[in-house]
Amino acid sequence: MAHATHHHIIPRPLLLKVFVTLVVLTIITALTGQADLGALNFLHVPLAVGIAVIKATLVVLFFMGLKYDRPINALSFIIGLLMVGVFLAFTLLDMLYRGDIGNLDRQPIRGPQLEQMAPPSAH
Amino acid sequence: MAGASEAVTSVHGAEAHHPPYLQHHFVSAEQQFDAAKLGMWIFLATEILLFSGMFVAYAVYRVWHPEVFQAASKLLDWRLGGLNTLVLLASSYTVALAVHYAQLGNQKRLLQNLWLTIALAGVFMVVKYFEYTEKFHHHIFPGGNYAYEGLQIPYVGQFFSIYFVMTGIHGLHVLVGMGVLTWVALKARRGAFSSAYYTPVEISALYWHLVDIIWIFLFPLLYLIH
Amino acid sequence: MATQMHAATVAQSQAEVNYLNHARGLKSWLLTLDHKRIGLLYLISIALFFVVGGILALLVRLELFEPGQTIMSAETYNHVFTLHGAIMIFLFLIPAAPAVLGNFALPIMIGARDVAFPRLNLASWYIFWLGAITMLVGIVTSGLDTGWTFYTPYSTMTGSGVTWVVLGVFILGFSSILTGLNFIVTIHKMRAPGMTWSRLPLFVWGLYATSIVQILATPVLGITLLLLALERILKVGIFDPALGGDPVLFQHFFWFYSHPAVYIMILPGFGIISELIGTFSRKGIFGYKFVALSSVAIAFLGFLVWGHHMFVSGQSATASTVFSLLTFLIGVPTGVKVLNWVASLYRGSIWLRSPLLYALMFLFVFPIGGFTGIALGTLGLDVPLHDTYFVVAHFHYVMVGGMFLSFLGGLHYWWPKMFGRLYNEKLAQLAALLIFVGFNVTFFPQFILGTQGMPRRYFDYVPEFTTLHQISTVGSWILGVGLLLVAGYLLHSLFKGQKAPANPWGAGTLEWTHTGRIPSPHNFDRIPVVTRGPYDYHLAEEIFGNGRGEGNGVVVQPSGQAQQSHSTT
Repeated sequence: MAHATHHHIIPRPLLLKVFVTLVVLTIITALTGQADLGALNFLHVPLAVGIAVIKATLVVLFFMGLKYDRPINALSFIIGLLMVGVFLAFTLLDMLYRGDIGNLDRQPIRGPQLEQMAPPSAH
Repeated sequence: MAGASEAVTSVHGAEAHHPPYLQHHFVSAEQQFDAAKLGMWIFLATEILLFSGMFVAYAVYRVWHPEVFQAASKLLDWRLGGLNTLVLLASSYTVALAVHYAQLGNQKRLLQNLWLTIALAGVFMVVKYFEYTEKFHHHIFPGGNYAYEGLQIPYVGQFFSIYFVMTGIHGLHVLVGMGVLTWVALKARRGAFSSAYYTPVEISALYWHLVDIIWIFLFPLLYLIH
Repeated sequence: MATQMHAATVAQSQAEVNYLNHARGLKSWLLTLDHKRIGLLYLISIALFFVVGGILALLVRLELFEPGQTIMSAETYNHVFTLHGAIMIFLFLIPAAPAVLGNFALPIMIGARDVAFPRLNLASWYIFWLGAITMLVGIVTSGLDTGWTFYTPYSTMTGSGVTWVVLGVFILGFSSILTGLNFIVTIHKMRAPGMTWSRLPLFVWGLYATSIVQILATPVLGITLLLLALERILKVGIFDPALGGDPVLFQHFFWFYSHPAVYIMILPGFGIISELIGTFSRKGIFGYKFVALSSVAIAFLGFLVWGHHMFVSGQSATASTVFSLLTFLIGVPTGVKVLNWVASLYRGSIWLRSPLLYALMFLFVFPIGGFTGIALGTLGLDVPLHDTYFVVAHFHYVMVGGMFLSFLGGLHYWWPKMFGRLYNEKLAQLAALLIFVGFNVTFFPQFILGTQGMPRRYFDYVPEFTTLHQISTVGSWILGVGLLLVAGYLLHSLFKGQKAPANPWGAGTLEWTHTGRIPSPHNFDRIPVVTRGPYDYHLAEEIFGNGRGEGNGVVVQPSGQAQQSHSTT
């Protein structure tokens, strides 16, 4: 418990390398975000989110120094992320399966104003 | 909890090191630094959960109305969003450098990088200002106030509600970060920090990185919906 | 020689300077950084709001004495029950145990001089008041009639003070978050030497688990209420169906916090019960490790069950099934805790003082609340019971019978340490009896009313329900008298109570063994070194050393010579 992991000094070349990587990943995200992948278009969201996760991980590990830090700090952060996952997963469990009771409309509740607007255009 | 014959520390004992920044309820500078860091990481976890609500709302409405999100996202300028992403990434780099130089005791470069970070944050806010005013000019407002003639489909107001609330709360955090970093920079200018004590630099940098991370996710989710 | 002199100076200093008298004047209280004083500041604050919430409760019960209008109109009734709920939950139940008892006892129990961030601690109290006043602005100007749950679309439509109130609760949330943050860092970083995790008092484990919930759940309440306020001000349309929003989404957001919130309320209570049972059966807690870890398990499991408030809202059957199963799961560690407490009492050396009375009352009342929770978690049962008085009875059994009784028990237990005074034990026992009888007479009939179909939040009812309602109302009067009595003798003890010794209960935790009759401002002259567990009475020489535990960690030998006790483990 006594070694001074928390005062670890991250070398400047490493910081620069991480920054450059982040910029490159951003450019990749932006370009692939605009590109038409044809049959693979469904990959857009996983790709974008996946790259974002990699970028965030780089920031957390190296800019924020979590790689060299006490485990309890990493644990706090990860548990926060897990709770977000729980929130998202369980809410989607409801949203995606709405109407499975059989006597309920699958569509979300629409107010009267929306009935007068045009239905969502098929794109 | 019996006391042993030697006590560990006493309140009024003559200690060889009692630096001015060491608060009295802490036993050592190490304990104080560790506590501050853990406190900030826990606070960052709470910030993630604060933003999570918006991410969940985003996910729900995008899953329900994917075509609306697609159409509405086109009204956002992805180049400005991308620029802002690069700006924030650069500011993360400069604030990490600030911590680095603080650890080395290099007062000049510490201060330079703090000011750079604040300046980059300012650039972000200026770009954001132009984005927002352009939207308002076209009557693109949240939810029920949305009145843009160029795109009138059901639920488009929800997209922009989510857009404005997410980027708005994020922008507020940028402003707060700028304030905190300015305070730290002013303290640094007065020579408050050294390689032995730079805790405020460290923990405000941690906060700043989180602000960057939130934007790393906001950019593709809002601007790059294909 | 040195130890004799040390003991003498310690005893002398304890007689003079303590955290109450070492600095005087309003400023020394309003700008204090002492966790003990901050605990008292919170005590006064939450007691005030408890009185307001309690009066509102009596008004609710008075209105329900007869069907139809009794003392107020239907619209007023909506405001009264809403305010009763909102004030009791946000301004009393959530802060009470952590901010009062936790603030006071936690640092001393782990051998620290204060919490990790004393200024943040004081800030939490000011933020509490900022939030409370913001709420009050809304309440006083336009009232609040949405129920404490603020469901949309009514909460986005109503003209009552929703915007102010939810912004006030948003601010209150920060007070809760910062307290939780402070406690977690304190427990991780500021334990005295030898105070390992497995030697922590169970109240500390309870606070640790509570703090985890506070920091993870409260931010989501924050964003939810912020969105609700924005819905009203800017018409963002996330929750309002008239604008294209989804009202069930609001319920997901709201209950993601509000279910774990009930664990914020009860987990410190569980910790208090462990302390009371441990001390007054002089035996320690059966299954310490389980009780400690189950608190943390309950904290995490509590995040997985919120949908059980939404079974009839239109939530998908898939989600409902998952939530129901997880709700059953969370009953397991809770139930085993209760069994562990009973096992702790078994073959213990029972000392029937008022704090233990509260613990025993808890053991009777809380399981009723818990079991009825399981009943409500059953999908089939929830359909007819949802939004009936069965639910009202269930949550009052766990919140009042569980949380509030344990808070009262803890208040009585730590009262001598907080103020150096003993209260009148006979009156305390009488009050406990009144509270027990009054509570059950108030709320048990409500289970029956619920199964017979009486809806909650209803101002009027069919004449068949009158008798049960009247019994319930009379119960509320008995409960009120009991609580008035508690306030009476506790306040009286401050001025005329017998001076308490340092360790009147013969307890084994640091706040009893190593402080004077009233703690000094910095808790300890010297940080103790811990060598035994909190309930290891057989090793607690400083309590039993010739039976004269002075609260200064000193063992008094039969010859009259004082010495610091040896490490024995």
